[in-house]
Amino acid sequence: MTASQPNLVLFAFSWQLPLSLAVPLGTAGAVVALLVIVGKIPLSYNVRNLVVRWRTTLLTALAFTLVISLQTVMLGFVNGMYQLTDESGQPGNVIVLSDGAVDELVSNLGFSDLNDIDHHPGVLRDEREQPLASREVYLVVNQPLSAAPGQQQRRRFTQVRGIEDPLLATRVHGLELYPGGTWFSEAGVQAVPGAWGDEQQQAIQAVLGEGVAGQMGQDRGKPQLEVGDLFELGPRKWVVVGIMRSAGSTFGSEIWSKRALVGPMFGKGAYSSIVLRTQDAKTAQQVSDDLTKNFKKAALQAQPETVYFSKLSETNRQFSTAIVFVAIVMAVGGVFGVMNTMFAAISGRTKDIGLLRVIGFARWQILISFFLESLTISLAGGLLGCALGFLANGWTATSIVSGGQGGGGKFVVLELVIGADTLFAGLLLALAMGAIGGLLPAISAMRLKPLESLR
Amino acid sequence: MFKYILLIGKNLRRNLLRTTLTALGTMVLVLVVTLVWSVLYLLDGVMAEKGANLKAIVTERWQVPSQMPFAYARTLGEGAARNAGDVRPQDSMTWQFFGGSLEPNKRTREDLVFAFGMEPKKLATMMDDLDNLPAGQSQQLQANIRLMEEKRQAILIGRQRLAEVNKRVGERIKLYGVNFREIDLEFDIIGSLPPGRYDQFAVMNRDYLNEALDNYPRTHAGKKHPMADKSLNLVWVRVPDREQFSRVADQIARSPLYSDPAVKCETASSGIAAFLDAYRDLIWGLRWLLSPAILVTLSLVISNAISISVRERRLEMAVLKVLGFRPGQLLILVLGEALLIGISAGLLSAGATYFVVNKWLGGVALPIGFFPVFFIPVNALWWGVGIGTVTSLSGSIMPALSAGTVKVSDVFSKVA
Repeated sequence: MTASQPNLVLFAFSWQLPLSLAVPLGTAGAVVALLVIVGKIPLSYNVRNLVVRWRTTLLTALAFTLVISLQTVMLGFVNGMYQLTDESGQPGNVIVLSDGAVDELVSNLGFSDLNDIDHHPGVLRDEREQPLASREVYLVVNQPLSAAPGQQQRRRFTQVRGIEDPLLATRVHGLELYPGGTWFSEAGVQAVPGAWGDEQQQAIQAVLGEGVAGQMGQDRGKPQLEVGDLFELGPRKWVVVGIMRSAGSTFGSEIWSKRALVGPMFGKGAYSSIVLRTQDAKTAQQVSDDLTKNFKKAALQAQPETVYFSKLSETNRQFSTAIVFVAIVMAVGGVFGVMNTMFAAISGRTKDIGLLRVIGFARWQILISFFLESLTISLAGGLLGCALGFLANGWTATSIVSGGQGGGGKFVVLELVIGADTLFAGLLLALAMGAIGGLLPAISAMRLKPLESLR
Repeated sequence: MFKYILLIGKNLRRNLLRTTLTALGTMVLVLVVTLVWSVLYLLDGVMAEKGANLKAIVTERWQVPSQMPFAYARTLGEGAARNAGDVRPQDSMTWQFFGGSLEPNKRTREDLVFAFGMEPKKLATMMDDLDNLPAGQSQQLQANIRLMEEKRQAILIGRQRLAEVNKRVGERIKLYGVNFREIDLEFDIIGSLPPGRYDQFAVMNRDYLNEALDNYPRTHAGKKHPMADKSLNLVWVRVPDREQFSRVADQIARSPLYSDPAVKCETASSGIAAFLDAYRDLIWGLRWLLSPAILVTLSLVISNAISISVRERRLEMAVLKVLGFRPGQLLILVLGEALLIGISAGLLSAGATYFVVNKWLGGVALPIGFFPVFFIPVNALWWGVGIGTVTSLSGSIMPALSAGTVKVSDVFSKVA
């Protein structure tokens, strides 16, 4: 994993707190504030006790910190996966696959199948009256990696997308190059020095997504491959001619190159897909339906690109379930911890409680007082946990997004996304742990009889 | 010694609430660690290079998914042995993937059945986890294999998939080819696959698929099916040791028979490791972030409970010292309390996790690689004891030291 600089200031101004989290947090805050203002809670007494028993307070809060920071990082990972599947598709795009293919990887569109598709009236055209339709082949290629002597040979599955017209493809997919790069030429190859520096050989020109550029760069001990760098894939040498601005999309994990070269080289003569740009999401749905039902030349499966990518979120859902399960079980562990602390706090302060009752504090004020003490520990631990977890924002990690049964899926390099909702979910969990763990001890404190306590 | 243990037990019984809460906290955290380590244990196991009885995989050299001509099957199954002295594998198996939809017009993931086309008899000798089934399941599998050999249309489907597509054993189904377009096959569901690794998959007789591919030109003006020369996905071979593996891999690499497409031969562990490479950061996180963090959390929970207990009993510790207990004995007393909670809660939790996950839930569904479910290994019982021991020791060492160093005069002066 690599860390990128989290921008706390930007984050603070750009957060968008989801209603589902804001409502319980806001309600809890308002209730606590109201109780403190009108309820004459012995707050200073509670705070002093937390400070006096600082070791216990610290140990309990640290347990909260660990649980919440882990939950934050894990949710950041799943958020990153969802970002890829949610943001890779353009709302106005239609992706056409062969009938029955659930993924580009297993789709085979014959050359003759594609005639007339891009002339559909719903497809937009560029200034030259060319339809905005990108014919593509999607391949996954075994890439052997260098291994130290005696170590197991490693391989990586590298994704290659063969493109007919790169300028057209970038307009369709809404991507652009970083300054200093170019798209591959009509020939798709360029001369590079040979192994001994004297002879020349033809290397395939490649445009790399940010993720794969970083991943391949790490193989060579640098942040990412740059324009002019050479690498080997399959039987040929490749040269980087550009890096795509593609963070947050699955295209960031792909190598784009000339289709006529890479398709036959890796055993796929046919196209995998054709992507059409339409006016908007509504038109995309209409074009998809029309092509699927009425295109007679070949059996096709057309769908809005957003729908295609959303179907790849099955793995995200399964990971989310696993993470929520782990977070809940860990939270239960934390609840037992805070319960222990609070019960011990009460058993050590029975005389104090008796005295508070004698000087006029009501039962419910004692309950709120100890309840708030528990919430304070959990809030402190939770805040620290969120802050620690937030450090992972922007880390990159590898994974797979897939729709489950049926084959396919994409190998992706994703960025952990820790937004306001993730942090507030962490805080909410911390407060919930503190509330559940603190309630029973607080009730037991409330039930203490003043005279018996003072005996 | 026995009296000592009795004293530890009495101490724990005196504050049952605290003991119970600490034990429950330990149990839930051991549960998470057991689940995480079970996943890592299985992945480490499949990626570890074996020294003997190796399985090797032959696939297309560059492209994923591998698609080779079926003509490669016979010679690859023999390890490309051509000359006297060449090594031949002990056993082999071919896989041809057939994905079919139950609906002709609605080919969605929900209606898909994904089958391994293979020789039925190899199910019992070459498939991981099916070659060491319990007696009852093994007999049932053998009976199904015999049926599949007699009847080409027979299919075995994993229990989970069978339930998901709402079909039952004994029903006849038609699968409309997805990766083999226009190859639509009728099947009789003769049984389900043993529970576990293959819950989401199906197994069919490869001859049935190959026959359909051979017959295709008869109904298509003599034109071969587009996938006719790409129908073989994997060949598995079994070799006795690494040396024999190297020789078989070399024979295959040197053979002129496999040039278009070129093939590669690697150990199964190496092949699986390549698939799992995509998950390396996730696995790293499980191993080096989640597991240690839970263990530290557990230590904190125990440490807190024991610290509170020691602080509340300083007077008692002072009295014990007056009665002749040495600092070391007080230290052991406190450590013993923590260890008793940690070990018993750890063992109980790991045992319960083993039983509930394996026997009741049928595994944990976590989609890493091609492992749809994970089971808890029997070693988890020792993990529970180990986790309990290590975390309770590390959590209680400081409170135990403080108990051992109680100054009698200080304690009694405060009481006075």
